[in-house]
Parts: sequence; structure tokens; C-alpha cells
Amino acid sequence: MSSFSLYVDKGTWLHKLHPYTKLLYILVAIVIPIIGGNLYFFLITIGISLGLLICGRTLRRALPLVAFSFTLIAVIFLVQGLFYHDNETVLFQLWKLTFYKEGVLYATRIGGNILNMLLSFAVFVLCTSPQELVEELEKSGFSPKFGYIINSVFQIIPQMMKSKNTIMDAQRSRGMETEGSVMVRVKAFFPMISPVVMSSLVNTRERAIALEVRGFGRKNPKSYLSERTKYVGDRIAVLVLIMILAAVIAWRVVTCL
Amino acid sequence: MPVITIDHLKYKYPGTDRLALDDISLTIEKGEFIGIVGRNGAGKSTLSQAIIGLVPQFYKGAYGGKVLVNGVQADTCPVAEMCEKVGLVFQNPFNQLSGASETVYGEVAFGLQNLGIPAEEMKQRIEKVMKWLDIWEYKDRNPFNLSGGQMQRVAIASVLVMQPEVIILDEPTSQLDPEGSEQVFHVVDQLTEAGFTVIMVEQKMEKIAKYCNRVILMNQGKVVDFDTPEKIFSRDDLEDFGVTPPVFTKACRKYGLKRPDGTYPVVLEEAVSSFREGGKQVETVIRQKELTKSETVFTLENLDFAYDTTKIFQKLNLLLDRKATAIVGQNGAGKTTLVRLMKGLLKPGAGKIWFGTEDISGKTVAMLADKVGYVFQNPDDQIFKYNVLEEVMYGPLNIGMSEEEAKEKSLKALELMGLKGKENHNPYDLELNERKMIAIASILAMDTDVVILDEPTIAQDYPGRQLIGHMIQVLSEEGKLVIAILHDMDFVEEYFERVIIMSRGKILFDGHVEDAFSQDAILKEACLKKPYYTELAESI
Amino acid sequence: MGKIFKTKFTVATIVLIPACIGINYLGKLIASVLKLPLWLDSIGTCIGACLGGPIIGAICGALNNLIYGLTTGDNITLIYALTSLGIGLVVGILARLGFMETFLKALVCAVGGGLIAVVISTPLNVIFWGGTTGNVWGDALFALTQANGLPVWLGSFLDEVVVDVPDKLITIVVVYYILKGIPKKLTALYDVNAEVERLD
Repeated sequence: MSSFSLYVDKGTWLHKLHPYTKLLYILVAIVIPIIGGNLYFFLITIGISLGLLICGRTLRRALPLVAFSFTLIAVIFLVQGLFYHDNETVLFQLWKLTFYKEGVLYATRIGGNILNMLLSFAVFVLCTSPQELVEELEKSGFSPKFGYIINSVFQIIPQMMKSKNTIMDAQRSRGMETEGSVMVRVKAFFPMISPVVMSSLVNTRERAIALEVRGFGRKNPKSYLSERTKYVGDRIAVLVLIMILAAVIAWRVVTCL
Repeated sequence: MPVITIDHLKYKYPGTDRLALDDISLTIEKGEFIGIVGRNGAGKSTLSQAIIGLVPQFYKGAYGGKVLVNGVQADTCPVAEMCEKVGLVFQNPFNQLSGASETVYGEVAFGLQNLGIPAEEMKQRIEKVMKWLDIWEYKDRNPFNLSGGQMQRVAIASVLVMQPEVIILDEPTSQLDPEGSEQVFHVVDQLTEAGFTVIMVEQKMEKIAKYCNRVILMNQGKVVDFDTPEKIFSRDDLEDFGVTPPVFTKACRKYGLKRPDGTYPVVLEEAVSSFREGGKQVETVIRQKELTKSETVFTLENLDFAYDTTKIFQKLNLLLDRKATAIVGQNGAGKTTLVRLMKGLLKPGAGKIWFGTEDISGKTVAMLADKVGYVFQNPDDQIFKYNVLEEVMYGPLNIGMSEEEAKEKSLKALELMGLKGKENHNPYDLELNERKMIAIASILAMDTDVVILDEPTIAQDYPGRQLIGHMIQVLSEEGKLVIAILHDMDFVEEYFERVIIMSRGKILFDGHVEDAFSQDAILKEACLKKPYYTELAESI
Repeated sequence: MGKIFKTKFTVATIVLIPACIGINYLGKLIASVLKLPLWLDSIGTCIGACLGGPIIGAICGALNNLIYGLTTGDNITLIYALTSLGIGLVVGILARLGFMETFLKALVCAVGGGLIAVVISTPLNVIFWGGTTGNVWGDALFALTQANGLPVWLGSFLDEVVVDVPDKLITIVVVYYILKGIPKKLTALYDVNAEVERLD
């Protein structure tokens, strides 16, 4: 594993869009159901996100993320469907459990919100190179120091995960048990985390030296290898997003009148 | 005018009482190649970091005197600016990667971006340097996936693109395999030809002798001597400072083959001609040629092993008895995989591993903990106690020894590793080389029948190497099997009886150490270098 | 007060932040490898806070969740950036006030970190998921409170207390033992008051 990020360059138009355009999409996707106020708007935004993921040929990579959120959504349905404080109308009964309409509706709203955010983020995350995002942020005046932090996390974590395996092997070689009762496992935590921390602090010091001797932290403005070529898709996408947003606002105003 | 002027330089790290640099004054001229030698902790790295201003600006602490690089004062000029004048490359290739880039190209560009060099010029400089160092072909690879030697060349390239006048190499090959070291030393050749001012800290004295115009000999923060390699290496008291002269010098001294100025030759060519003129022959070390027979400890039978789909071993067979055995070969040859199988850290795909008469291919690491000891390469991957003795006692207590027994064995192991008197120190207050000794002691204290050492000589100076060598002899005399993975052929030649040469998952050679180093074709196939002593004997 | 928040953005502290984020991640990973019923995912944040001060702690915490949220697409983590920020900040302040000096004081620090996590997380839980936390034990307690007709915020608060306070307690104890042994040569890099002393 060389990279921690989920991004894979599939070269579609979605990948070519400017990171900011995709960030705008997240904003629009989250705002639409709030402005629209109707549960059906979740269906629309979730549908659009799924469509985009298909266009970006990354739908399959998004599925694990969705699967992960299902446990949370299931718990919410259970807890709210059964115990929501405004529960009045019985919806259905399952074995001895009574589910109420109000709770289930409330849970649907939360679940819709989670899925909507998750998928719109997935559009961004799966189709945007973190390095590109950082570089664009830096060019817009974001501090290169913060840019470095973000970039290096992706490089450093896979290395630290490798060292975790080595540490575990080294301690097991000295007779440390990693399986058994809770006490045994709790006892194993410190011999594993302590070398992780100490070796990363030692490495951190060396890496800081490496950065210093490469001119990191100078006051002069940083230069970049390439200028981003303007992509027509960005203008179109931004225009479409603004139009959709305007349409939803108009719809809401009209229905309220 | 000298490039570097150091005037009464003194320095103390924060929280310590001892002067790490103690009243140093010297000058270095443009185009010189300077070596810094001395035992671990003598102040070599500290001195080189003072030239670029990391000492004191990065570490803080207490500082006195003055360091001037081309007239610029190193303790006040920010390191981020000084880096245009002085480039620094250090031991660990991994930690020198900025971590800011996914590609080698971007990694090399990182420094130039910080300097604000325009894109066009950046591209030209990067291409020129990368092609010069022969790493252009890796430009789109992830730097973290390169081999050590490749990474270290990327680190040198990243520094060279910034066009410094002085380049400091702080033990650049100490963590590399023989092939990686050769690649880096090839770059050093290029730097010398191009006329850079180079300062190199190095434990391989043969290399110091080959490159340096002058050598700084340091001890306890002081400069003992600053002279030509011939003068330095001909000093009678050299070993008092934890430094041993090149093999060639030692041989010439033994036969009294002096140069006209009364010093001894320090490089191979000169030593060879002195021997020829003097009509002398070096005697080969007399050793028992027949391998001593003893009972078998490990039997590997038709062993198959693969990581996912990459096959490492196919039908590997090997017998190991109680002779001290060195396993040598390039990174990726399968050395570590082999010992990990014997330790039970990996499970064979097919075949059997017998430990004595017991089949251990199904046993867990914990079950083998009291039989097979394994010292990992990096001590920081295991040290977690803040007391040396407690750290060493962790293993023995885990395998069921009583408190007294564990303590007794631990103290004995610490003494063997030269740590007597440091039992109650905090391991992290000690240097890396001493932490390595703690890691070795922590395995020895478990009193296992087999001790496996992975690269024990990394980061060790001459006294450290001798301690480890002595430990190997002691264990062998006690009838234990010592297996070591090594990149240091000179060390192998000195302390091991049996050598296994591996390449790409195959055993190319298995036999007596002397026979091993006369197998030119096999050594070449495994990309190994001969020990210097053998080289000298054969050249004469 | 200014002194408590004093922060230096040197290269050393900048590099400390990604390392702390990595430590957070590994803490969580090791806890799951050992099947411990805790998260232990803020060890790095607390180390950052103790070494670099409250501001660095807060940055470690916030960036930790932002980066994971933005890269793994797990926006559930993203929302709790605020909680992590709070933990880093409070632990950093308490550490500067000397609450990491002895074991007993460190326990106070742990309770402080745990409580701030609860105080910030509870409203987030209520707003975003109606009060649950995703932790089995906590959510069972929440369900119990709701079944007995207690207010949502109280149920969610108890849910968080059960989950967060023990977790932060263990976290701080681990951090305390680790930091106790760090040599001066390493910590001086992050010491805001360190100056170069002259020897001549």
C-alpha cells in the first residue's frame, strides 16, 4: 500500500474538474434538502451523487463507505423508531417491538442526511487528488505549512502502519501475548503504542531536519511546477450547480406563498 | 579565502551538562574533501550540523564561538537560507524524504519550490541533476517505494538541485546494503570529480582514505587532530579514539612498509605497490578449514514461501548446526524472510521446518519465544520502558523466568554488550548505537538456544563492532547457534565460520567463509563486495 | 493567559502534527487489533497538546478528523472535528498549567479532556443523529433512557459519558507514561521558551 488516500485517477471529466468545483457540489448537495425542506429532496441529491459516481467510474469504491454507515443508520432507526419522544402513531409491530411513524420519519430524515453527505463527499474524495487540492489551496493563499501537513499525512501513515507490524513482531518475539483475556490484551497495548510514539518522535526530528535543509519555512513565496490549465467543464459545472440551487430556492419560495 | 571558518566553537545540547563540541577551531578550503572520524558520540554529527546552523538554531541549547560559511554566520542565518550554501545528507534515507510528494520528481522539486525558483528553471535543474545521478528513470515512482540506495540518491539529488557550495554527507551509507552503498559511493566519486567541497562523516575508514584530502579526528567533542589521512591513520594512539585504520594501513604497519615521509599507505593501490616493492606477502588468516561438525539445530525441508503472489522460496533445503552463520546478499534476496520463517513470524506455504527433532512449521511466535531469539534491526521498534534493566527483563519475565533469574541473566547480558553501569539509565537518553546494544541484550537475557541478529552492525563504530563480535564468539562457545544477516563483509570475514550467500530466494553458496570470498562469479551475481583484506591479499 | 497559548510554528512543530495524526490512527488500529473495547484514537492529539501547547493540540485534533473525513469519505468523523479540537485545546491548557506533572494531576487532566469531549459531542449527536453515538454500550444506555421517557439531551449526554470518559482516562494515562520518559533533547524542540544560551 503506497497511498492512504482513496483517490484513483480514472481520467474522467469528473477527475478533471477543479477541486473547488467539487467542493461547491458538496455544499449544494447538503443545502438543497435543507432549503427544500421535503424528504424527497434527499432522493434527488442522493440520486445525483450516485449518477456522478457512475460517471466518475468509482461507484464500486464508494460502496464500502455506504456499507459502513448502514450500522449507524440501523441503530438510529431502531432507537428513534421505538423511543422517539414524539412517537404517537403506531406504524408496525415486529415481534414485541412497536415502531412509530414519527420516529421512523425522523430517522429517515437523519438517515437521508447521512447518506446524502456521505455520497456527495464520496464524489469529491474519490475523484480529487489530495495533492492537487493542497496545491490549489496553497495557490489561493493557504499556508504551505498547512499544505505540507495534509500532504505528509498521506505519505507517513502507510509507513507508520508498516512499523506497527514490525513492533508487534518484535514484542511477540519477546514473548508478549496479543490474544487471550482482556487483561492480557490491555497489557499488550502499552508495549505496542510506546515504541510507535517514540519512534515517530525520533523520526519526526529527523524529518524536520530534512525539511529545514530543503528551505522549508522560508518567507519568500513558493513556486510551482505547473500552472493549472483552465478547464471548460468547470464553468459549465459551476453554472449548472448555481442554476439548480436557484431553482430549489425558487420552488421553496413558490410553495411557501 | 576558506569556505568554512570555525572559531572556538562550543556547544551543549539542552538538558545535558557535557559539551558536545568543545572549543573547536579550524578552516576548510574550497574544493577540499574532508573526512570526520571518531567513535559514536564524539561530536561528528554535531559538528557537521553546526556548519549548516541546525546547531544551535534547531536544537537550542548553549552555544559559543563562531562558524562562518562564505562569511555568513551559521548560528544566526536561518537554516532555510543557509541551505543554498550548504547541503546536508544523513544516515536514514527514509526520514530524509519530505513526505510532501507522491513522486520522486516532486520530491526533488520540493526544495526548489521553497526557494521560489521559477518553473522553467526548476525543470531544467531537476532533469540535469536526476540524469547525472542516474535516477531519472524513477521520476514517476513513489519515493517511499524505492530501495535504500535509490532513496539516498534521491536525497542527494534533492540537495544538489539547490546548488550548494558545500555538501555534508553524514554516514550516508551506514543503513544501506552493499549494492546501495556502492551506488552512493559512485555519486561521491562524481561529486569529487565535479570539485564540490565535501565533508563526510564515515565509519568505513577505507572510504575515508580513498576520498579525503584531510581528516578531522574527533574525541569527546574536541578535535584531536586534523591532517592528511596518512598522518591520521599512522597515529599509534588511533584505537584510543575508537577508530581503527584501514585494513591496508594495518597490513603495511605489520610489515613495517612505510612511505618516504614515515607514514603508512592508506589506500589499496599504494599498499599493493609497497608490498611488491618490499617483496612481502600477506599471510592469510589461518583458520580451521574443515567445518566443525556438530548436531543439527534447524532443518528446512522443501520449503515453499510466497508473499501473496510473489514467490520467494521454492523447494528450499537447508541444514543449520551450531556454527556461527552469516547470511549475506542484497535486499530482497530473501534473507529476512528466511530467518522470520525460522522464528515462526511467517508460516511456510509448504515443506517442513524442524527445530531439533520438533516440527515448528505450525508453531506460533510466542511458543518459540524461549527457544529462538530474534533481534530486530531497529531498537526503537521494541524499547518501551524507561529503564534499561526493566526493558531487558521484559522478555525473560514473559517466558516465565523468576524475578531473580531474569535479573541475573539481564545483568549478565548487559555487561556482555558493554552497558555495565548504565542499567538504570533511560534508554532514550542513550544514543542509537547503545539502544541497539540494549535490544541485543534484551534477547540474550532470554537465554534462547538460537539467537538471530538482523543487521547488528548498523550504526556501530569500531568499539561497538568489536563488542558485537565478541558477543558472537561467547555465544558460540556456549554452544548456541548465532545466525546474523549482514551487509558488512569485513565483519563477516572476521567473526563468522559459515557463510550463506543468497540471491532472489536461492542459496548460491553455503560453506566456509574463506571459500565464500573466493567465489568471484557468485559474489558478482549476489552483488557483493569482497572484504578489503581479501581484496588486498588477492591484489598482491 | 497569553503565555498558556504561546505557540511557535517552527518546522519541528509543523512536522509534529502529521506524526500525531498518525499516532491517533495507530492507537485506534492497535486497540482494534487487540480487540479492546475503547477507541484510543486521540493519543496523538494529546501528545501534540502536551508538547506543542493548546493551539497545536487543537490543530492536531481538528485536522485529524478533517483529513480522515475528507480522505476516507467518512463524514461521520468530519463532524467530530470540533470535539477533537476541544480535547486538544483543553488537554493543552491543562498540561501548560502543570496537570501532566504527576499521575494524580494527569487524572484531573483526563477528566477534563473527557468532559469537554462529552460537552461538545452531545449537541452534535443530537443534531446529526438524534442522540446516538454508534457505540454499542453507549447506545444501549441511550435507548434505555429514551424508553423511560428522559429528555434526548440527557440520554445522549449519558451515552457520551459512558463512552468518552473512560476512553480519555486511559488515553491520558498512556500519554502520561510515554511523556514521562521522553529525553530533553526531543522535547526542547517544542519548548516555546527555549532560547539559545551563549557560552562566551
